[in-house]
Amino acid sequence: MDILFLLIPLSVLLALGVVGVLAWAVWSGQFEEVDAEAQRILRERD
Amino acid sequence: MNSAAACAPLPAQPSRGALPPLSASDHKSLTAFDDEQEWDAFGQALEGPEAGCWQSQVLVEGMHCSACALNIEQALLQQCGVRSVQVSSAARRARVVWDAALTRPSQWLAAAPGYRLLPDLAFDQDLRLESRRMLWRWLVSAFCMMQIMMYAYPAYITPPGTIGADIEQLMAWACWMLSLPVMLFCAQPFFAQAARDLWARRIGMDLPVALGLLIAFGASSAATFDPHGLWGAAVYFDSLSMFVFFLLTGRWLELRLRERTAGSLNALMQRLPHSVEREQPDGSFSVVAARRLRVGDVIRVLPGQAFAADGCVLEGQTHVDESLLSGESRPLPREVGSAVLAGSYNLSATVRMRVVQLGHGTRYQQIVALMQQAALDKPRLAVLADRIARPFLWAVLLAAALAALLWWPTDPARGLMAAVAVLVVTCPCALSLATPSAVLTSAGALARQGMLVRRLQAFQALDQVDTVVFDKTGTLTQARLGLRATTMVEQREDVDAVQALQWAAALARHSLHPVSRALVAAAEQAQLQRPQQPLEQVREHRGQGLQGELVAAAGVQGRTLRLGRAQFCGLEPSDSEQVQVYLADEQGPIARFDLDEVLREGAQALIDALRQRGLRVQLLSGDRAAPVQALARRLGLAQARSQCSAQDKREWVRAEQAAGHRVLMVGDGLNDGPVLAQADVSLAVGASVPLAQAQADVVLPSGQLQAVLVLLEQGRRTQAVVRQSLAWAAVYNALGVPLAAMGWLPAWLAGLGMALSSLAVVLNAARLARHRPLAPLQTGC
Repeated sequence: MDILFLLIPLSVLLALGVVGVLAWAVWSGQFEEVDAEAQRILRERD
Repeated sequence: MNSAAACAPLPAQPSRGALPPLSASDHKSLTAFDDEQEWDAFGQALEGPEAGCWQSQVLVEGMHCSACALNIEQALLQQCGVRSVQVSSAARRARVVWDAALTRPSQWLAAAPGYRLLPDLAFDQDLRLESRRMLWRWLVSAFCMMQIMMYAYPAYITPPGTIGADIEQLMAWACWMLSLPVMLFCAQPFFAQAARDLWARRIGMDLPVALGLLIAFGASSAATFDPHGLWGAAVYFDSLSMFVFFLLTGRWLELRLRERTAGSLNALMQRLPHSVEREQPDGSFSVVAARRLRVGDVIRVLPGQAFAADGCVLEGQTHVDESLLSGESRPLPREVGSAVLAGSYNLSATVRMRVVQLGHGTRYQQIVALMQQAALDKPRLAVLADRIARPFLWAVLLAAALAALLWWPTDPARGLMAAVAVLVVTCPCALSLATPSAVLTSAGALARQGMLVRRLQAFQALDQVDTVVFDKTGTLTQARLGLRATTMVEQREDVDAVQALQWAAALARHSLHPVSRALVAAAEQAQLQRPQQPLEQVREHRGQGLQGELVAAAGVQGRTLRLGRAQFCGLEPSDSEQVQVYLADEQGPIARFDLDEVLREGAQALIDALRQRGLRVQLLSGDRAAPVQALARRLGLAQARSQCSAQDKREWVRAEQAAGHRVLMVGDGLNDGPVLAQADVSLAVGASVPLAQAQADVVLPSGQLQAVLVLLEQGRRTQAVVRQSLAWAAVYNALGVPLAAMGWLPAWLAGLGMALSSLAVVLNAARLARHRPLAPLQTGC
């Protein structure tokens, strides 16, 4: 079970990393225009 | 796909109300925004890697769905110098980042054909930052809570001693790491508010929360790093992070709800457009800030926009929505020459209008000033809430200390957590929110129906009203006379009643006396032509009547007509209660006109409805006894007092109050100030009163009497909601505190309970925003 001493700190780091990604998502406005992204795929690329 | 196809080529579909493509002159008008001085008004300069670029806020018109947003983004991005574009179809706004060295606003503002892009001069950067910050706090607390639960889970499901002490401590350390962001960042608003309260030497609602968090975190941290110390090895990071998460969720929902309900007041107040299209001397239109408008300017108003000023229509036919200003909810037609009001909405077509009145002169501004007065009332509500909450908060702190002392000798750790649970579970918010949230929501709901509440405390008295006292003139009756009957005094073969009225009206046109105006109005209402023979040498005998020569014409001989009181027409004066005037010629009197006061629409129905509800209805008037008695008989009122001075009215209401009645006084708000102040609740009715001068708790600019019923009903509902909320808060706290003090309530459950409890109060108040229409009154009376 010694591996836990590595894995648990790693998981903490990973969680903090995810918090960082969330920070980017919120502050770059990813949650502000949700509908338009669904339409984007339907458009012809020109 | 079909929505994208349907609205992409906008200019090709004029039938959908599409905007005309920008003309050369429109384009020229946008160049006003190329001046660097103007850029601050709708955006800000960027720094760092994008130095030299500006981020501008733009309003988009002509957008129908989210596919339009992409059209606009693509069109703008093709412009040289535009770095990035984000269009929000819900808000009909766009954020454009552009390079000031490569392009100018007028170039990219005109770059999306079929849409109209205008600088958003009213952009509020702070508001969006605030909502983002809140979302961010909530997300962090949610994520950390999840992770902490993962680490805490093994300890819950395994028998004690199965996990090695070193692993257990490692888990506790991981929890501690992840509760750091929760404590330092997510819970920061609670700490900040508690610190502010302490600094101001008062006890606030966030203090128990902050204390609870600090104790729980301190004890758990000590247990993490020194498992054999005084605090034992128990950690509560999971409870703590869950508590913060629930609290933040509750606050966020609360804020959204309050924005939607009480915030509707603010929405009404911020209704004027910030930029308008003003006509230039050469006939083109340019966009200018609304504050730069001057009286006499000509502006263009598109459908869906609000009028920026009072004015008159020069071109175009449309319908307007004046519901805020007059309470009239139907769209009203407006054509060339008719007046439009600032703050009303243009509904159907583009119009050109000339500005007649701006700023404080407009009815809209008067209403806003009234609402601001009501907003000044809010702090008083908060004081009221504080008065309830403060002793309660002291009791909570005491209970927490007692709970800790109770357990201390046997189990210090458990004692601490019991104290934390007590601090957390008690919800002073529910107690103190009950009244303000309900009252504000109600005020917002009434404002949307055209009723302005100036004194928010009026709602409390409204529920107990059992007596409604009306002023007469201008309240139940219109301040004018109406023709009730025309009687022939003497039968003549060449004159009938219609002819008599026609002549009387022709004479009356030369006078402004109320009786004369009533006769003219009656003739116009009956659609009588003016007599073909002209009247000559019309003279007004002051206090007596009018006299004029009717010139002879085909079939009718000339005569000298007299219109006036009995003596003036050669008759004995009668002692009738009614106002009577006579028409006479050389041969003697022809006809008698009986006039009386015109009842306001719905007055009879209102009084019947009030009496049906078991309310006492009374009439007070400064007028002479005869007309007051006549009116009381017509309306079926038993109690009517005439010839009251303002002082008499006040004494009357005071006597009623001394007899244990609660009085709602309905007046015109202008000359009955003392009695309105004396009554428990006062309502000023009438469109003729300058709003800002109306001294009443509630002002009704529309003058629609049915609103009295709406007001009483809303007052009753408001008090019912307040009572429910207070009862709920009392029961919740009475149950929660003992449970928590006995240590039977874990902190996370306490947090959930607290968040739900204050949410329940706000949700309950939100029910008041729902418009419950009354059964329509029968108006044919």
